Amino acid sequence: MKEHIIFYSIVKKHFIELRRYLLNTLMSMGGVFILFMLVFFGLRSFDAGAETLQGTIVGFAMWIFAAMAYSEMSWGLLQEARDGTLEQLYLTPSTFKRISAYRVIASFIFQFMLFAAFLVIMMVVTGEYLILNPGVVVLVGLTLLSIYGIGYIMGGLSLVFKKVQAGNQILQFMFILFLVLPSITSHNIIYFTPITWGNVLINRMLVGGMSLLDFSLLDYSILLLNSFAYLFTGILIFSYLERVAKQRGLLGHY
Amino acid sequence: MISSLKVSSITYALKVDNLEKTYTQWRGEPTKAVDGVSFAMEEGEVVGFLGPNGAGKTTTIKCICGLVEPTAGKISIFGIDALKDTRKAVKNTSAVLEGNRNIYWRLTTRENLEFFAGLHGRSKKEVEPEIISLLERFDLVEKENAPARKLSRGMQQKLALGCALIRGTDFLLLDEPTLGLDVKTSKELRRFILKLAEEEGKTILLSSHDMNVVEEVCERVIIINKGKVLADDLVENLRNVFNVHLYEFIIKGKHRLQRIRDEHNVTDMRYVNGKTIMKVVLNDSNSFYELVDQLKEKNIELEKVKNLDTHMEEIFMNIIEENGVVK
Repeated sequence: MKEHIIFYSIVKKHFIELRRYLLNTLMSMGGVFILFMLVFFGLRSFDAGAETLQGTIVGFAMWIFAAMAYSEMSWGLLQEARDGTLEQLYLTPSTFKRISAYRVIASFIFQFMLFAAFLVIMMVVTGEYLILNPGVVVLVGLTLLSIYGIGYIMGGLSLVFKKVQAGNQILQFMFILFLVLPSITSHNIIYFTPITWGNVLINRMLVGGMSLLDFSLLDYSILLLNSFAYLFTGILIFSYLERVAKQRGLLGHY
Repeated sequence: MISSLKVSSITYALKVDNLEKTYTQWRGEPTKAVDGVSFAMEEGEVVGFLGPNGAGKTTTIKCICGLVEPTAGKISIFGIDALKDTRKAVKNTSAVLEGNRNIYWRLTTRENLEFFAGLHGRSKKEVEPEIISLLERFDLVEKENAPARKLSRGMQQKLALGCALIRGTDFLLLDEPTLGLDVKTSKELRRFILKLAEEEGKTILLSSHDMNVVEEVCERVIIINKGKVLADDLVENLRNVFNVHLYEFIIKGKHRLQRIRDEHNVTDMRYVNGKTIMKVVLNDSNSFYELVDQLKEKNIELEKVKNLDTHMEEIFMNIIEENGVVK
């Protein structure tokens, strides 16, 4: 079976849709940018230090990235169910879980480009320059695995319950909490919540100037364990909810 | 249940064995949608799947393509256990389940075809001749680069069928493929489905409310109601079993014919241009001659009698109304 062709088809479709709706994408990014400016200049008016301001840039960019990654899994699935195409995605010699993973990879490629552009624009506009290190791709990728895990859970819930938008909104605010958690507490909880530890390492790299080699084995172990635990739990829960949806005949419904 | 189909040890394109599906809800009573459905299809067969709303057609079809998990029973597609090895079974299956909603409205006609081919592991290069052929056959060449949302409903429906075909499978499930189409497009699509079976040897299970579709396209029909198969036979055999003959009597003058209406199964009576046009169902030749004699007795001049064939619709209604108890 030619899995690479399936992967290529998913990625290609993703980019065609983005290109076709470029104006909409740019406008929503514009809205996010205005929100960022309000937060950033609000903080500056309180005489926040350079490190806090740079941390805000990284945290905000990570929040946007997480929200996009997560919505690809949950909102994207819901959209397919609503359009009537979800069942067609199940009619493939590959598996739906793989199809979902390919969609995630496709959106990651695009979102990373946006993330990078966003960082550069924010640095230019604010005059707060980060230490850009290509190794950040690895950290962002690993950090987002936990978000994809949560996305799988919400995607599974969407299959069964359909209307889970309220939960999506709550989660987006939760992501902010997870990102700012280290500045609120030094409790061990920061190793267990999704995205938090990854964001700490990304901050150390982009604000503190550390490289991938500077992190300890423990740093990586915490990140990997955290991310993969969320990802696998997400996939397991998704599998269970997918089965419930199949048992109740809910896949094609919206 | 009516059935005259021979059972042999051949490998069937599709074999459904004692399929059951009960939907359980968090609140409320469980609903039995499919209750012991069994049937088989040979390679290249086109079978009509008929039943009223809520009969269990769509649930059966979705169980076959792995979208609904059955409560009990077995399904095999080309000898592959579709419940145990869904991936392998699906490799040879494609379906049009929600008509024009089965395509991406944001993509163009060509992009849709390429995407669905890719979803089955077929490269653009490999399917290019098929895409060109499908565009031509479906009269979509001019709309090749138009977004699917801008196509007419008929074109979208054709594209949905095209997207199922481009997957290159031998087994095709079509759930209400002509629903909502105008007469012309429906006829075109029917002709195309017929060609698929005749020229390409596709095995097709087609569910429809439209009896004309089933009658024109299928050799064999399965009638299902309340989750049970009530009849499974060749259309021709069902016609013979019911032996229902519909006649149209064209009589000069305007007549009420009350006695005839009381004694025979008159389905329609109209007065057109000074003539009485009466449609009547007569089960045997005796009834026919009896009716002609009754007209003669009353000195009613008979202008013409037409024998209208028994239609699938009458057979279907007979079976459904008798709820499985077939004479």
